Amino acid sequence: MPELGRAALLVTLGLAVYAVVAGAYAAHMRRRRLALSAQNALIGAFGSTLVASAVLLVALVRNDFSFVYAAAHTSRALPTGYTISAFWGGQEGSLLLWLLVLTGYAAGAVLLNRRAARDLIAWVVPVLGGIALFFAFLVVAVASPFATQVAPLDGRGLNPSLQNPYMMVHPPLLYLGYVGLAVPFAFAMGALLARRTDERWIVSTRRWTLVAWTALGVGQLLGAHWAYEEVGWGGYYAWDPVENAALMPWLAATAFLHSVMIQEKRGMLKVWNVLLVLLAFSLSLFGTFLTRSGIVSSIHSFTQSSIGPWFLAFICLVVAGSLALVFARLPILRARSRLESLVSREATFLYNNLLLVALTLTILWGVAYPILHEAVYGEQRLVGQGYYNFFLRVFGLPLLLLMGLGPLVAWRRASLRSLALSFMWPFGAAFAIGLVLLGLGAGSSIPGLIAYTFSAFVLASIAYEFARGTRARRSLAGGSWPRAFSDLVGRNRRRYGGYVVHAAIVLLAIGVAGSSAYDTVRERQLAPGQRLEVGDYRLTYLRLDERPAANATEVRAVVGVERDGRDLGSVEAGKNAYTAERQVSNEVGIRSDLVTGEDLFVIAEQVNPDGTVYLRVFVKPLVNLIWVAGFVFLLGALIALWPDAREQRRLAVRYSRAGVPAGS
Amino acid sequence: MAPKRSPARLVIALSVAAALAVFLLYASIAGGGTPMVQPSELDGRTGLVTLAGHVVGAPTGDSYGAHGLRFQVRDIRGGATERLTVLYTGSVPDQFKRGRDIVVDGQLQSGTFVAVRDSLITKCPSKYAPDKKSS
Repeated sequence: MPELGRAALLVTLGLAVYAVVAGAYAAHMRRRRLALSAQNALIGAFGSTLVASAVLLVALVRNDFSFVYAAAHTSRALPTGYTISAFWGGQEGSLLLWLLVLTGYAAGAVLLNRRAARDLIAWVVPVLGGIALFFAFLVVAVASPFATQVAPLDGRGLNPSLQNPYMMVHPPLLYLGYVGLAVPFAFAMGALLARRTDERWIVSTRRWTLVAWTALGVGQLLGAHWAYEEVGWGGYYAWDPVENAALMPWLAATAFLHSVMIQEKRGMLKVWNVLLVLLAFSLSLFGTFLTRSGIVSSIHSFTQSSIGPWFLAFICLVVAGSLALVFARLPILRARSRLESLVSREATFLYNNLLLVALTLTILWGVAYPILHEAVYGEQRLVGQGYYNFFLRVFGLPLLLLMGLGPLVAWRRASLRSLALSFMWPFGAAFAIGLVLLGLGAGSSIPGLIAYTFSAFVLASIAYEFARGTRARRSLAGGSWPRAFSDLVGRNRRRYGGYVVHAAIVLLAIGVAGSSAYDTVRERQLAPGQRLEVGDYRLTYLRLDERPAANATEVRAVVGVERDGRDLGSVEAGKNAYTAERQVSNEVGIRSDLVTGEDLFVIAEQVNPDGTVYLRVFVKPLVNLIWVAGFVFLLGALIALWPDAREQRRLAVRYSRAGVPAGS
Repeated sequence: MAPKRSPARLVIALSVAAALAVFLLYASIAGGGTPMVQPSELDGRTGLVTLAGHVVGAPTGDSYGAHGLRFQVRDIRGGATERLTVLYTGSVPDQFKRGRDIVVDGQLQSGTFVAVRDSLITKCPSKYAPDKKSS
């Protein structure tokens, strides 16, 4: 079995080499058959990587501890679901997953674009092949998942923190996001190499970028929810380098998704878009480097490993090579038109881009600062959460405001009269809501009050846009209001899907502001029968329960909950003692109020032999809006992603004028 | 007449200047972060630092008790063998025990490292293992 896995990876490596060499030669010499052969090699690389992945998965599920990887990350008592998730529970498996997703994306991109964008795909193949080559080299020569040993009786098991359903989907989604950014990057570089600097590479990769961006966004929210439920410290994001590693490429991709619209509509920002996609992809590589090298002190305990220098060299190669290519192609990257006014839709997109990139680079500085400080002064110096929170407010609050302003401003140039008409209702609504919130005591946190007022403005502007569009649609085509609404969204899925995503970001902002600026915390040691009051809640420690589970012993403090004299039942918080792993994990108790979005969050910090427990209890207003935002975000992304026959027809017309077949 | 320049350049230049100004403002207000040191690098330094160390010997006491939790650490990297006693109160990560690498904020007081409450973080030595206070 391990021989089959190793052989499959060697085949992947060989096919990737072929895709790079033959692909580049074919593209340069315009050899069509050889180019097709290179494309097929890339598709074949997906097949061989799939075989290698299947071998590892079978070894994990069958508890074949002659595989070092299976012994290090599973045990006989581990439930099957977590045995499967051990695939990405360790470094070697994670790298194999990177390669599998990359070759899968590459095969899909080639198959869907080989007819439509023939001259472009010829150069895309060697770029994607180059990235696949790097990861194939890593799993073949540096960190093989197929190392073998004399099988021990049992494995070491999976870290208890990872034995959570969220961990079965969070890492693969992050990888779908990280790796997915390779596709727009490869198309951008392919376009530059082919000297095709029109909008075709953007149109061809729009949905790929959206898929990667959506996966990265949902993956991060799932990770935050996992931390909230499983890690048990009362928070969901700690500005840790490893968390920032996923946030940075998402922010850069967000900027890219906005700025490509300016290039599509006005032919502007060509250089900027190429640089943004380079930034997003480099940051996804940098994120993997951070998590895998152990170079930065992180609260996530990733192993220190030998792959760091390889990653650093590859990132340097990608960035230097790409920048040199952009520089060489500058003369053909000139904009078709110019920004006509600082008060226009494209100008608000530009401001949005600058703020997003500033936030991304600020976070990058915070992550890299300890490394740079150590390189210069010989001592690491860490930037705290205050640094990140400061810049989140400085850049994030104007970004929030721009989400409401942008959709209401006309393209090219907006007149004062049209601005006044468009802004009247949203501004009025936001002002009124701000005053009401002030009256309700939200002024205890000024950033929180500003965030809420801006959020109200954005939601009002989105509602206004939907109402205005539906009314216009109904007056044009007649019919009922729901029909007009559905027609409106169906005819411009990208725009209205985008508005739904904006609404999700607003919900996220409200949830984050509520749970961080207005939360309450109390802690105390309690004996059975004793009480603790937190906010409007009264908690009574009832008893301590101990029970066996599949692979652990569970100890739970049962706590009765009352609010305003009303019995709300009980919550359980405690510890799990895992036998095989010889580890203990905290298991928090959460009682969610589905009407107010508030959580009562109970942590049993200490469970003592005399039956007393030390409880830490949070009341977190509106925190559930963060998770609701995830569903709304996904809905908006799906609307924007949904196949659009009208769009295809528009593209067909555009490409037939340019003399190339349509498709994306 | 000189050709009219795009205002996009002006916007970008002003934005970069504004970002730099904000950054300088922050740097001047908040300083440059907390130093991260190992026990042997403390060297009499009494200001607030982030200490990274390897737990040696059995921890004693109760982190929520009147006298707190006491444990000893030595350097993770390098050959230094001297031990430093840490006095800690507050939340203790699940994976904290002898043999683990930890990170904790605090300052040296009369030869003992007095930790900031709830600042202890452990690091698992061999696996991908998100730890306490993470997401």
